[in-house]
Amino acid sequence: MAKTRGLFPASTAERPAEPRQRLELLRRELSERWPQTLARFRAEFERVAGVFHRVPTAADVPAALERICRERDARRLVAWPAEDLRVAIAPALGAAGITVESMPRSVPPEAERRRLRALIAEADLGVTGADLAIAETGTLVLVAAAGRPRSTSLLPPCHVAVFDRTALVESLEQLGLVLEAWHDGPAPPERGAAINFITGPSRTADIELTLTRGVHGPKEIHAIFVDGGLGLHG
Amino acid sequence: MSETAVPRAGSPRRVALMITCLADMFYPEVGERIVRLLRRLGVEVTLPAGQTCCGLPLFNSGYHDEAAAVARRTVQIFRDAEAVVVPSGSCAWMVKHEYPGLLRGTVEASDAERVAGRTWEFAQFLVRGLGRTAFESDVDGPLAYHDSCHLLRGLHEGESPRVLLRDLKGTSVVPLPGSDECCGFGGSFSVRLPEVSTSILERKLANLEASGARCLVACDAGCLMQIRGGLLRRGSALRALHLAEVLK
Amino acid sequence: MTEPIVGTPLRQRAAQALGDRFLHEALDIATTKFITLRREAFDDFPEGERLRDRARAIKEATLQRLDEHLEKLVANVERLGGHVHFATTAEEAREVVLDIARRTGARMAVKSKSMATEEIHLNDALEAIGVTPVETDLGEYIIQLAHERPSHIIAPAIHKTKGQVAELFSRELKRPGLPADPEVLTKIAREELREKFLSADLGITGANFAVAETGTVVLVTNEGNGRMATSLPRVHVAVMGVEKVIPSMTDLAVFLAILAKSATGQKLSVYTTLVQGPRRPSELEGPEEFHLVLLDNGRIAQIAGTLRESLYCLRCGACLNVCPVYRQIGGHAYGYTYPGPIGILLTAMLNGPGSVKELAHASSLCGACVDACPVRIDIPRMLIELRRQVDEEHIAPWTERVVFKTFARVLVHPALYRLGARIGRVLQRPFIREGRIRALPSFFGQWTKTRDLPPVAARTFQERWRDIS
Repeated sequence: MAKTRGLFPASTAERPAEPRQRLELLRRELSERWPQTLARFRAEFERVAGVFHRVPTAADVPAALERICRERDARRLVAWPAEDLRVAIAPALGAAGITVESMPRSVPPEAERRRLRALIAEADLGVTGADLAIAETGTLVLVAAAGRPRSTSLLPPCHVAVFDRTALVESLEQLGLVLEAWHDGPAPPERGAAINFITGPSRTADIELTLTRGVHGPKEIHAIFVDGGLGLHG
Repeated sequence: MSETAVPRAGSPRRVALMITCLADMFYPEVGERIVRLLRRLGVEVTLPAGQTCCGLPLFNSGYHDEAAAVARRTVQIFRDAEAVVVPSGSCAWMVKHEYPGLLRGTVEASDAERVAGRTWEFAQFLVRGLGRTAFESDVDGPLAYHDSCHLLRGLHEGESPRVLLRDLKGTSVVPLPGSDECCGFGGSFSVRLPEVSTSILERKLANLEASGARCLVACDAGCLMQIRGGLLRRGSALRALHLAEVLK
Repeated sequence: MTEPIVGTPLRQRAAQALGDRFLHEALDIATTKFITLRREAFDDFPEGERLRDRARAIKEATLQRLDEHLEKLVANVERLGGHVHFATTAEEAREVVLDIARRTGARMAVKSKSMATEEIHLNDALEAIGVTPVETDLGEYIIQLAHERPSHIIAPAIHKTKGQVAELFSRELKRPGLPADPEVLTKIAREELREKFLSADLGITGANFAVAETGTVVLVTNEGNGRMATSLPRVHVAVMGVEKVIPSMTDLAVFLAILAKSATGQKLSVYTTLVQGPRRPSELEGPEEFHLVLLDNGRIAQIAGTLRESLYCLRCGACLNVCPVYRQIGGHAYGYTYPGPIGILLTAMLNGPGSVKELAHASSLCGACVDACPVRIDIPRMLIELRRQVDEEHIAPWTERVVFKTFARVLVHPALYRLGARIGRVLQRPFIREGRIRALPSFFGQWTKTRDLPPVAARTFQERWRDIS
């Protein structure tokens, strides 16, 4: 019995005509209702066992980070470079006895890369930004790029993502638009070859359906939301 | 419009009863109760002669040419009926869902469509055809309803039997955990993989016990054969009845 | 529980599974939990039904132009610096991977869960050339250590107790006396496997989707092993069935919205990883080489075949969780790589209708699978078609065919039907006790072993009609 074409409905999703423009429009709309979006993000993020922190300005980020570090006796951090985090954390944390290794933006020779890999693997905590924060699901989206190696948010047992309202989107549907926009035209040279969506800490229920966290990826994930916005000045 | 859609009501006053092979052979009392009930509601009931089976067992086991021959005969028998009432969800599904496809391109094609469009499962007929939902019962409750798979998923009818039970006077109704789970009959499945079929049945019976009901109600002779067969074998005090045996 | 051999009849394998009390309980708990989680996720998700319809329509539309989408996918993956290999058979697919392993001098490969690699029996082939495959998904890791096959599509070790896992780890990992504590056992797996991730030359994964428009391969995981296997080793190979290609990123968002909800009730799995070729020159890390192996293995033939709809499958496992048969017997009893309702269809796709002459009947056709399937695959319809093929191609035993054909003849001759009732009434007399039949000889004993049968009525309904009308 051969299946007859046309018997079942068939249509691919309608793609946005000018995704980058549509995204611009969307961002403007979202900027008007970001507090609600944030509230939803927080609820969903916490639902998947994320720990949410909120600080008024970028200058408050190092202190929040320091608190997180103290609570779990984290002394060695790896982080995106300051220009990518859009906030400087190394000096303040260094003063508190917490070392921060910021990833280089240009690619060093093999031996140095191996050292960095080992460092990331030994680190207590990884600090990154977030390209998107999806409210519907409590998801952080990280695009790999120069200075933003994928393992900073993967190998250390604790991952902290710092972001502001510009990362917020409401839904998976909007995510679709963002992805279309990001791929509309050639990718910028710094962009890497992976995009990771992160929804809570690593988990499994493979043994008797008992939930355990921190299987291979981080056991904890924190979000630090900066009300006043991120951005390096000077 | 989907073939399995409920016929447009018009309160038919004359129906042809498709008794089904299982009810004919093993549960004739169900047929009798249906006839008495419908007559009391002012509906004339005819029984076209020479009925055998709707052909579902042949169809499900893949004998489609043979099933088509049975379908052809059944359509011929019922071709002049204004409305056909079937006391079994699976047989009603067979006629409504599969007969048109089996007889497509044959002489009986349009008759098959017509008969399919005029066929009702019994509970559906009472509620959607006649608009009657209030009945009395003297069956020892509480009752619990089990959805037969073909009625629930094939004919999308989970509501009519529940409405009838909800509006029933004289006895009580409790929900059945896992009411939408299969009873394990599945026609020849029950004897091809009897251990699995029995294991599935045991789950159903455990749910029945847990519900606190004294009587399970179903709209399919196959389900009843399976469930009653299990209850009797255990010497259970619980019963399994066809919906028609519960309505007065 | 030792794994059953496919050579034994299905009925025996099923009976063996039914006799395993722990398996029974584990299956009950796990499937009930998955059902509840899925139901809660969709109850909380009003757009769910509409999205399921859309997802199904996308799958159908994609199949109608599969070659175009695959071409576009290949072009884009290559544009990103990846390599694409097309494998018609399982053997070809294995050869591609073995070739890559040989060429890159890999000694060990970390694997993230992939049913496609199970399907082509890749692990054995890798071991044969001296490459150690290490399963890193906790459930797969457990069954690899136990030398077993997965018993569920997404929770492969569902059939093992924590005690069994503790014992297994203690023995195989030379860490005696481990407690039956999932937290402890998970931590050990993390330690053991972390070391493997960091030293492996080769990462082998499956893929849940591949977006043609952007050359993106998508992995949906929870543990982080997918991310590890796709970023840490030097070479990454993804093995993927051709039917997993989807046209655009917008389509991807539709599937992501329903996949995890159907599988585990999560809104999204913990990690969704989009792989876009090997690492860029600007990146600090990432594989130097990326290979995508597109696997046919019987799929393309089904685009025009009876099992076309099964190509929509997202491998979420929802149908397993609701299937009354799977819930009783578990995955191993099916005897092939893919268990459960969709597993029967996939087995037929991979091995031909003869392979499912028994399995096609491992279903009561209840339809719960269709209700649960995110893309509403009509599995019962295809099972009936397989049964038909089995009959028409004379794969079913001739005795059975004789019985059914005789039965069919009786049903079109009302005189024979009536005679049948009269004969039944006579033959049953010795077996009736207290108005029921409790035991019958031979074939009919299959019923009466565990259930009573009603006797044929003294007068059938049609015989009584004269008195009623």
